[in-house]
Amino acid sequence: MAGRFVALFRRMGLPERLLAVLLVVVIIDFVANSFLFERVDSFMLRRDDAERIAENLVLARRTMEHAEAGERDQIAHVLSTDRFQLHWFAPGTRRRGSLGLTNLRAQVVALQPELAMADLELHLEELPGKGNIGGSIRLSDNSLVKFHTHAKSAWKLTLGRIAGLVLPTLLLFALAWVLVRTTLKPLRTLIGATRHLGSGPPRPVPERGPDELRELIRALNEMQERIHQSLVDRTQTMLAIGHDLKTPLARMRLRLDDESVDPEVRDGLNHDIDEMRMLLDSIQAYVDSDGRSIPAERIDIAVMAETLVDTAADHGADATYSGVSSLEVKVRPVPIRRALSNLIENALHYGGNVRVSVRRDGGAVEITVDDDGPGIPDDRITDALQPFVRLDTARARDTAGMGLGLPIVRKAVRTENGTLDLRNRPEGGLRATIRLPMGAD
Amino acid sequence: MTVAPRYRHPHETMTTPSTILLVEDDGALRTLTARALRQSGFNVLTAATGAEMWVTLREATVSLVVLDIMLPGTSGFDLFRRLRRESDVPIIFVSARGSEEDRVLGLELGADDYLAKPFSTRELAARVSAVLRRGGGLDSTSEPVPEMRSADAIRFDGWEVSMARRELRSPSGAIVDLTGAEFDLLSTFLGYPQRVLGRERLMELSRSRIGDSSDRSIDVLVSRLRRKLQAEGSESPIVTVRGVGYMFKAEVIRT
Repeated sequence: MAGRFVALFRRMGLPERLLAVLLVVVIIDFVANSFLFERVDSFMLRRDDAERIAENLVLARRTMEHAEAGERDQIAHVLSTDRFQLHWFAPGTRRRGSLGLTNLRAQVVALQPELAMADLELHLEELPGKGNIGGSIRLSDNSLVKFHTHAKSAWKLTLGRIAGLVLPTLLLFALAWVLVRTTLKPLRTLIGATRHLGSGPPRPVPERGPDELRELIRALNEMQERIHQSLVDRTQTMLAIGHDLKTPLARMRLRLDDESVDPEVRDGLNHDIDEMRMLLDSIQAYVDSDGRSIPAERIDIAVMAETLVDTAADHGADATYSGVSSLEVKVRPVPIRRALSNLIENALHYGGNVRVSVRRDGGAVEITVDDDGPGIPDDRITDALQPFVRLDTARARDTAGMGLGLPIVRKAVRTENGTLDLRNRPEGGLRATIRLPMGAD
Repeated sequence: MTVAPRYRHPHETMTTPSTILLVEDDGALRTLTARALRQSGFNVLTAATGAEMWVTLREATVSLVVLDIMLPGTSGFDLFRRLRRESDVPIIFVSARGSEEDRVLGLELGADDYLAKPFSTRELAARVSAVLRRGGGLDSTSEPVPEMRSADAIRFDGWEVSMARRELRSPSGAIVDLTGAEFDLLSTFLGYPQRVLGRERLMELSRSRIGDSSDRSIDVLVSRLRRKLQAEGSESPIVTVRGVGYMFKAEVIRT
């Protein structure tokens, strides 16, 4: 039964849910109030309390009936005590309390029947201030005597009344809280999902919550699928272009090996072919550099950096390594090796030399690649990290690559939850810093 | 289907050229590559498809297959796997995808070498010759070349070397990078454990391997390798034999 209600609730939209909650609260309020009326109506005081009220009222009535109209106010004041306060009012309408005490009145009238003649009215005070029970009697000239008094056992009623006021409100709060929470929970997972949109395979968000939210989640899931598909298409297109162009390039290269080709032309064209190959390779590296499908492995990052430096130095470059001789981390080896290699090549290309250093810094590895070149203008550093942006468009176009070198580095480093930082050193030259977490194992 | 067993050249001389089977789907490139191989002194057979390849392999004795992996999909690699299963003819595979993953995958599947498009005649001939030399036994009169396909993983002092991946792993399992020349030097040492090797001999043996050779002196290469193998703080397995050369003293286990 409860399960069916929950299921029904789950199917409802947001406005329906709000209405349902309001309805529940109204019903509870109604039931609580009816119960309270019933209890107040049948309330009786202990005999001594009832006698005290009856006696006081009879005394007040008798005294005031015999007094002049002008003195009655004074008399009321004189007759008042701390626990039983009296006020006289000129004839007029009288306001009856909303919670009448029928049984108590009967109890009091039974003790002093003459009070019935005085049209006794008793009620529970709304706010316990001067007393918790209030009431009035009418004198023969239609003027009113009102009173307030404390009755020992009436506090239970007062408490019930306060509870009657506060309880539905509390319940409304609680239900609203639960409603908002259950409505917002799928919304929160939705927010989490949008953050990952476009990175990696689509992760469908389970369809939960009210109708409107379900529709939103469904739309988002479809969008995820579309984005993923278009990324896959883009990757496939770029890979296919790279792949298909390599065969004609291979033909060109072999044709150049013919005896009849002028050696100078051959060298020139071979250089061009190499450049085209490098462009195609860098596109492929960029597309592949997500590398999420390749598992991370333990590697010696210090040896890796040193080996790359040694290889560059073996080819005649001004490359030096300083730093630790061995430091193990858990990363994807191929993209990270390519990232380091790109930074070293960049330094050699733009700066003419390179100094690589690896050190451990707390729970991270810090790899710095320095050169003594001109650096990058500070306002263009962000541009340098954008794919297909080349900073030296105006200068000599002898740069190989498509402006994918640094973006490849950044992509590879980000995949390992690391950071890449580029800055000009105060003494001149550029410093690229990679920080990689050591990796848990 | 049966395939002619791999033909080993027990007494290869320069007068009997090896037969190379070239499998390439692009017609023009097939013609050009075949011409390049012929110019380098090889006997060349060609095939445009996998089916043609099987026919040729049954009919002729082939010393080496140059196989274009074609599309980066399954077809090329499937063909490759089947060929490797049915014959142990040396294979050089050619790929248009120059990616490292492809290279490693190819070598792990049992390729003898990898060639990325575009390649020059010289590069192609050098690779083919290197693989033939290794497969056929370089100088059959002297000791056999120890690097066999069956012995892929080699262990010493807790270190592990994968010949297919050309990869060295430390005792803690971390990949330790080596330059091409360093790896070739290590492979040579692993082939002649507990034997003193002169500098000249080391140079000669290391150079016969694939991988880019370096003009660094053998002493520089040895000292780099020694430093990398010493990372764990233990004693280096390579010891200097004064006036003679070097010796790899660790015990070598092949699996």
